[in-house]
Formats: sequence, C-alpha cells, structure tokens
Amino acid sequence: MTRRASLLAATLLLGGAGALWAATSQPAAKAPAVPERIVSINLCADQLVLALADRRQIAGLTHNAADPQMSGEAMAARGLLLMSDSAEQILAIEPDLIVGMPASRSAALAALPRKTYPLLDLETADRIDQIYASIRSTAHAVGHPARGEALVARMEGELAGLPAPGRGRVAAYYQRRGYMTGTGTLIDELMTRAGLVNLAGKLGKPPLSQLSLEEMVAARPDFLIVESATDDVTDQGSEMLHHPALKDIPRISVPQAWTVCGSPAYTQAARSIAAQIARIDRTAL
Amino acid sequence: MTRFAPPRWTLIALLAALTLIAAVASLLFGAVDLSVARLIAAATGSGDEVATIILFDLRLPRTLLALVVGAMLGLAGAGLQGYLRNPLAEPSVLGTSNAAALGAVGAIYFGVAELHPAMLPVLAIGGALLSLALLFALSGRSESPLTLILAGIAVGTLAVAGTSLALNMSPNPFAAMEIMTWLLGSLENRSFQHFWIALPCIAFGSALLLWNARALDALTLGEDAAQAMGVNLRATRLRLLIGTAIGVGGAVAVSGSIGFIGLIVPHLIRPLTDRSPSAILLPSAIGGAALLTIADLGVRIIPTTNELKLGVVTAFLGVPVFLIHLMREKRLW
Repeated sequence: MTRRASLLAATLLLGGAGALWAATSQPAAKAPAVPERIVSINLCADQLVLALADRRQIAGLTHNAADPQMSGEAMAARGLLLMSDSAEQILAIEPDLIVGMPASRSAALAALPRKTYPLLDLETADRIDQIYASIRSTAHAVGHPARGEALVARMEGELAGLPAPGRGRVAAYYQRRGYMTGTGTLIDELMTRAGLVNLAGKLGKPPLSQLSLEEMVAARPDFLIVESATDDVTDQGSEMLHHPALKDIPRISVPQAWTVCGSPAYTQAARSIAAQIARIDRTAL
Repeated sequence: MTRFAPPRWTLIALLAALTLIAAVASLLFGAVDLSVARLIAAATGSGDEVATIILFDLRLPRTLLALVVGAMLGLAGAGLQGYLRNPLAEPSVLGTSNAAALGAVGAIYFGVAELHPAMLPVLAIGGALLSLALLFALSGRSESPLTLILAGIAVGTLAVAGTSLALNMSPNPFAAMEIMTWLLGSLENRSFQHFWIALPCIAFGSALLLWNARALDALTLGEDAAQAMGVNLRATRLRLLIGTAIGVGGAVAVSGSIGFIGLIVPHLIRPLTDRSPSAILLPSAIGGAALLTIADLGVRIIPTTNELKLGVVTAFLGVPVFLIHLMREKRLW
C-alpha cells in the first residue's frame, strides 16, 4: 500500500511538479449522451469518475484506484475492474469513453492507432476553480451534468464554512528527504485557505525545492505540514522528518490521498488542516 | 625506506591537531551561515534557540559521528593490512562494509529495527561477521595475496547485489535513492541517537584491533616465527575478525558504506612511521577521523543541487593522494 502511495509522490518529485494534479477540460469528441463503458486511465481521473458516474457505467479504473493511501475514493473503487496499463484490456472492454490526464497522450492508446475512442482530456491544475472545471466537464461527459453542479455547490458550501485559524502564521509542507512544496500548487492554496503563509513563498523558493534541516530550523516555521505516510520512520527518507531538531515545531499531518489529485477530497484536506491548527492552538493554551 | 619519519608521539600530536581543526571547522560550517559569535554563545548556553538547535542537535552529532566512523575505518584498514600482510586489505575492498550495509538494510526496510534499537547494529554486525567468515573460508590458507582480494570482491559484489535486491523487494518506492545512500555513505541528518548506536560498537571493535598490535609485528616474520614468539594465532585472528565486524558493522549501520578511508589512510601514514604494523594502528585511526571529517565538510561546502554523497568526496580527496604515494613508493608499502 505505502509502496504505491509513495510511488506517486516519487513520480511527482521526479517530474519536479510538486504534488498536484487536477483538471480542466476539453469537450469530449462526440461522446454519447450517457456512456455505458467508461474507462479511466489516470488515478486522478478515477476519483472524478467514481464521484460522478453511476457504478454500472464504470468499466475500468487504474490499478491504484482502490488504494486508500493514494485515492480519496478508494472505498468506492472496491469491486470494480482495476486495469494494468495495457492496451489489450482497453481493446477487450471496447470503451465508449476514456478519461485521462490527458487521455490523448496515453501510451496504451498510442499502441492502438487504428482505434478511435471518445476521449475526455483532463489537465493537471493547481487551483480550486480548476478542480471545479474538471468536475463539471467530467460530469458532462459521463452524462450527469447536474451531479457535477451539485458537487461543486457542496464543495463551495463546505469551503465557505471553514475557519481560517492560521492567522498569518508560517507553515512549510515538508516531504521526505527535505523536499518542500512551493507556491502555485494545491498545497499552497490549501495553506492560504487556512490562513497560513507558505514558507516556500516567503523564501522565494520554486514549486519544489529542497531545504536542509539546518535551513528549516533557522527558518522557524510555526507549523510543519507532512504527509501522513511519513508519520512512521520506514527508511532514511522519512527518518529525516523525525530528527530531534524538528521536535518543537507543531505538526499537521495530511493523507496524500487528499492532496495529490485535484479531486473532491480537497475539502477534506482543507477541513483537516483547519481542525488540526485549532487543536494545536488549544493544547498550546 | 630511510625517509624522514617524525617521532611517534609527534606524529600522533600533529594528526590530533589536524583532526581537531577539522572538527571545529565542521561545527562552524553548514547549510545556514551562523557567525562564530553566535555559535560560541550557543556553545556556552547563552545563545538563541536556532543556533543552539543547529549546533547541538544537527552539527555536533554529525561531527562526532564523522570522527568515530572515520577512526574506525582507518583503524580497521591498518589492522587488516597488517594481519593479512596485504596492502589492499580494508573493509570496503574486502566487502565487509557492503555486507554490513546489507544487514542494516535488512533491519530497516523489513521492520526489524522497530522491534528494538539494538537490532540495527546487531544485524549490520552480523552481516559484517558473515562476510569476513566467508572471506577467510574462501581464501583459506592461500599464499597469494590476490586470492584474498578476489574473494573480497566476490563477497562485496554479492552484498551490493543483495542490498539492491532487498531494497527493490521491500515495500519502498524510493529504493533507488536509498540504495545510493547506503552504498556511498552519508552523514546527512544524523542525530545523537545514531551516535549512541555507533559509539559502543566502535569503542569495542577498536579495543580488540589495538590489542593485536604486538601480534601484528610478530606476524611480519611469518606465521611460524610469530607462533614461536608466543603469539596465539587463533586468538589474534578471532580478535581481528570480531573487532572489525563489530566496529565496522556499528559504523556502517549509521553512515552507510564509506569506501577508501581504510585503504588510503594506512598508506598515507606508513611512510611517516617506522613501517611496523603496530606503529600505524593509532595514527591511522586519528588520520581516518580527520579525513572523514574533512570529507563531510566538503559535502556541505561544495554547492550541489542534490546532496553530495560522502563516498564521492572521500574518493576525490583520497584517491589522488593515494596514487601519488603509490607512484613514489613503487613496491614499498
């Protein structure tokens, strides 16, 4: 479980992208009104499809879709077909909608040059309005536009009701081996929403940078935000986050599954961060 | 052979002074620029919180670890070279360090280390001991110094392959990065917890190796002559095996496998002594401490986008000096 969860993070780190995928849309090419055999070929697309399509419409998801460490909709994915990245499986399913990020650049589809399937291309995004846009376009493509509007309205409502207990204090999103998430990312937006200031922005760091323990101690952030997968020491990369030099900095721990994709789980992450700041403040009194 | 060699205690004092300078420098420099005044204030207990944490929680354990790990590797190299009468013998050439790293990797990535903190060094020591036993069994009583080195390369290669395999099979997606750290060594982000794991092992291992001093001198005359002089060969060999395994195992458990120090330091020290194996033991330990501390300082000072590995710096620092000596010394060692 952890293995795959962190693989995702690794891929993101290698890509230098920070930690976020979300989506904007492009109308699907002549998609039928209500597709019956939807295939998702991306972990983030999985979550949108699960949230918006009927279960019987879903013909295949990626192999990580049911992993609670990685996907905010893991429970809903249980019992559905989880595919490997193979073109053969797609051929066998004969889907009437393929959702990807973007679907048109998938290696599996490139292996099937003579087949044309209706595609929905979602794009990575780093702001809440981009999440809303991808929810709307997915809802439209799967034939349930009203569900998309309802989900967006629910998320807007939940987010509007959240407090911002950060009061301008500084937080750092600190990952294994000292990687720090910067501005222009979903994490950064979540911090701002909670009233926190991103240390990376304060230091003028890029979206993904590496900060040594010494630099972190010297920067004295008010909070460290970590992935809950690093709560336990499992290797040298996570051991670093448990160095005694960091023990006095209050910690906020957020599951990667809520933050790695631009998905409906965004509101859970926002709520959790606000609640943890409030709890830390209460215990400090 | 008749080059100038300083008196023994002068040499030791000079090396100790060099080590002290390296250690102080390693406390002064780091990722964050702290003024000397701020560091002194922190050291005397009247400093600000940031300087105090950086000095005592980050830099001090790292410096102390560099000193003891370097000393252990230098001493192990000198002890092995003396006993085996082989100028190429040292923990990393003989595969001991890599086998210890394999043990440590097994302890960490398969959750054994969580059972008890002592499990980490215990498994590393086990790996080192196993590799040395295998090595002595493989090379047997062969007269050729090459047999031993070849056997060491075989054992070391096996251990490296085992480490990679173990990491690839463990539930860890960051295996490639972790493999590199274990095989090239790093003292990045160490804490006092690591120091307390390594120190007892290194102290015990060093004591056993230093105990062998007189026997090593006698062995230069050959095993029979040594036996005739009252040297217990079995006990000497056992002390060497166990001392190296425990010391190197404890060191590698916290630093990964750092090459070259055990190989190079005795060769650098030897011309400055009367060349008897016993005379280079202590100076090699001090020299190893100095070299590793300086190398670790280099890791921090040389600007790189990703953390530099210790083994890289020890190689760049030590190998050229070593080659110059090799050219000059020709067949003398």
